[in-house]
Amino acid sequence: MTAIAGFSEMVTRNLRQSGIFAAFVLIVLLFSLLNSNFLSPGNLTNIVLQYSYILILAIGMVMVIVLGQIDLSVGSVVALTGAVAAVLVIRNGAPWWVGALAALAVGGLVGMWQGFWVAYVGIPGFIVTLAGMLLFRGMTYRVLDNVSLSPFGGTYYDVANGFSTNGWFGGYGVDVFTLVIFGLAVVGYAVSQWRTRMGRIAYQQVVESMPIFVAKIAVVAVVVMAFGYQLAQYRGLPNILILLAVLILAYSVITQRSVFGRHIYAIGGNLNAAQLSGVKVRKVTFWTFVNMGLLAGVAGVVFSSRMNGAQPSAGNMFELDAIAAAFIGGASTTGGVGRVTGAMTGALIMAVMSNGMQLMGVPQSIQQMVKGLVLLLAVAFDVWNKRRADAR
Amino acid sequence: MSSTVAATRVPVLAIRQVSKRFGPVEALVDVDLVVHPHEVVALVGDNGAGKSTLAKVVSGVMAPDSGVIELDGEPVAIASPSDAHQAGIATVFQDYALCENLDVTANLFLGRELRERSLMRDGEMERVARGILRVLTSRIPSVRTPIAHLTAGQRQTVAIARTLIGSPRLVILDEPTAALSVAHTAEVLNHIERLRELGLGVVLISHNLNDVRAVSDRIEVLRHGRNNGSFDTRNVSQEELLAAITGATQVPEPRPSDVGR
Ligand SMILES: Nc1ncnc2c1ncn2[C@@H]1O[C@H](COP(=O)(O)OP(=O)(O)OP(=O)(O)O)[C@@H](O)[C@H]1O
Ligand SMILES: [Mg+2]
Repeated sequence: MTAIAGFSEMVTRNLRQSGIFAAFVLIVLLFSLLNSNFLSPGNLTNIVLQYSYILILAIGMVMVIVLGQIDLSVGSVVALTGAVAAVLVIRNGAPWWVGALAALAVGGLVGMWQGFWVAYVGIPGFIVTLAGMLLFRGMTYRVLDNVSLSPFGGTYYDVANGFSTNGWFGGYGVDVFTLVIFGLAVVGYAVSQWRTRMGRIAYQQVVESMPIFVAKIAVVAVVVMAFGYQLAQYRGLPNILILLAVLILAYSVITQRSVFGRHIYAIGGNLNAAQLSGVKVRKVTFWTFVNMGLLAGVAGVVFSSRMNGAQPSAGNMFELDAIAAAFIGGASTTGGVGRVTGAMTGALIMAVMSNGMQLMGVPQSIQQMVKGLVLLLAVAFDVWNKRRADAR
Repeated sequence: MSSTVAATRVPVLAIRQVSKRFGPVEALVDVDLVVHPHEVVALVGDNGAGKSTLAKVVSGVMAPDSGVIELDGEPVAIASPSDAHQAGIATVFQDYALCENLDVTANLFLGRELRERSLMRDGEMERVARGILRVLTSRIPSVRTPIAHLTAGQRQTVAIARTLIGSPRLVILDEPTAALSVAHTAEVLNHIERLRELGLGVVLISHNLNDVRAVSDRIEVLRHGRNNGSFDTRNVSQEELLAAITGATQVPEPRPSDVGR
């Protein structure tokens, strides 16, 4: 493999990934030019809080999509789990953590139910979760007796709205804890990039030239620290951001480094080969749906906390946002391809676009049209990119 | 390695009186097959003769209706592909394809990843993968190349290399050269000879009698799911083989493959 071929290959292979990041940066730049408030500390915090549940759902969704399935029920599951928590905490006065754990348990049970039908009965996920979408929405209405419940208040409310770590390390007007955490994140990123680079060099694979490598890390560091500084100036680290960071790290490891994750990719890539190779297809499929249910439960807690209550119609269409995030983030419609980090970028693109257009006062109708077109174009770009790669 | 020398040892695989039907179709009827270490046994026969079915029965993909499978003289039950792998049976299936979205290492170790708790030992797997590809003297660019970027021949090399993960004693190859060019076929035949040198028993299923004659020690013919002749590769003529495959001759008794019993 010559260095030149290797380089062009690297660019094609990474085009999708670098393309999605470039698109994200461009959209952020565009909105910050159009609206001076966009990059304000308050608004950045707001974006994180407002779309956190879509990011959480997108983590599970990209795994389901890589498996070659789809889950249309997550919006209803968000509503159902939030409703269960609300009935326990608001109506029956249970402690906040009882409500949260019950929501997770319900999410897990929902996942087992759907995983059973998909994995062991062999009904396509599309059908099972379409049924689930209706089933769990109906259950939500029953659980809530057709009325909304509010407010949670207290610790439950703080889950998605609090800044518990603010002031741990002190600081006047700027939260030091936030800056320390972001600093650690930058160092961690730089170290992992350096190790990847060393690994590639050891296998005589192509790497960027040193100045480009340093510049890339510097740019990331500046952007991340700028974001952290803005948050620190506002109210510090939102609890939700900590939860998200933990989930994203954990699921990146699960999908990229664990045997379970590898088997999800194998099943989505070639079901027959996976089966003949001894991959336990049913078991992996079942647990991928259980995992999706659990994450929908987490999103249910976060959303009901954020809304400070539960409504029968909560979470409507969330499944579509989560699915769009996964596809914009590079997941393949035929399965086997997609990454948690990609889905997160996809979800952030959706979040930033929604927020930016809201700030500019773009009507809801136009917002939907724009989001629809972005999804279409992102997948079209994928298809085009793949064809071009195949044609070579 | 000649079959007469091999026959004096315990066969690595002995199939006795195995039958399998699919509804009205008798895919296998009382089939016998014996394979020794250091031996390449070719399994030939017309389309639908039952060759792939036999491979699947031995690899744990489907269970036989009746009959016994012995490994190193011990009767065994092989209920799943993982069981077969545990027992040291490695198979390249006819309709087997690799996961194109995964790289060479991931495909080699699929279903049998080296792990530390539930995390994979990526570095170790790559090291072993490189070693195995070196044994097969293959021309795979890198163990990190996704399968989608490989040629048909390179993919077949990966499929065969897969059989060397763990410590197999028996390798079954179901038409490994069917889709390959002359050059790639030669490469695969080289791999098969390498497997024999490593002391494995090899079952080669093929329609290509030239390939079969080039690498096998013994040729077993299946016809309509039944044994229909067993020949020493060095002493058999093309006409005899064709006659057995097409049914112009009937089963010769006793079969030379039974000598080792
Ligand atoms: N899963 C199955 N269900 C029903 N019938 C089957 C199945 N698998 C094989 N058969 C039938 O069993 C018979 C033997 O098939 P098999 O695939 O073993 O033949 P083969 O010798 O491998 O043929 P080929 O050279 O075409 O690969 C055929 O008649 C086939 O149609
Ligand atoms: Mg066959």
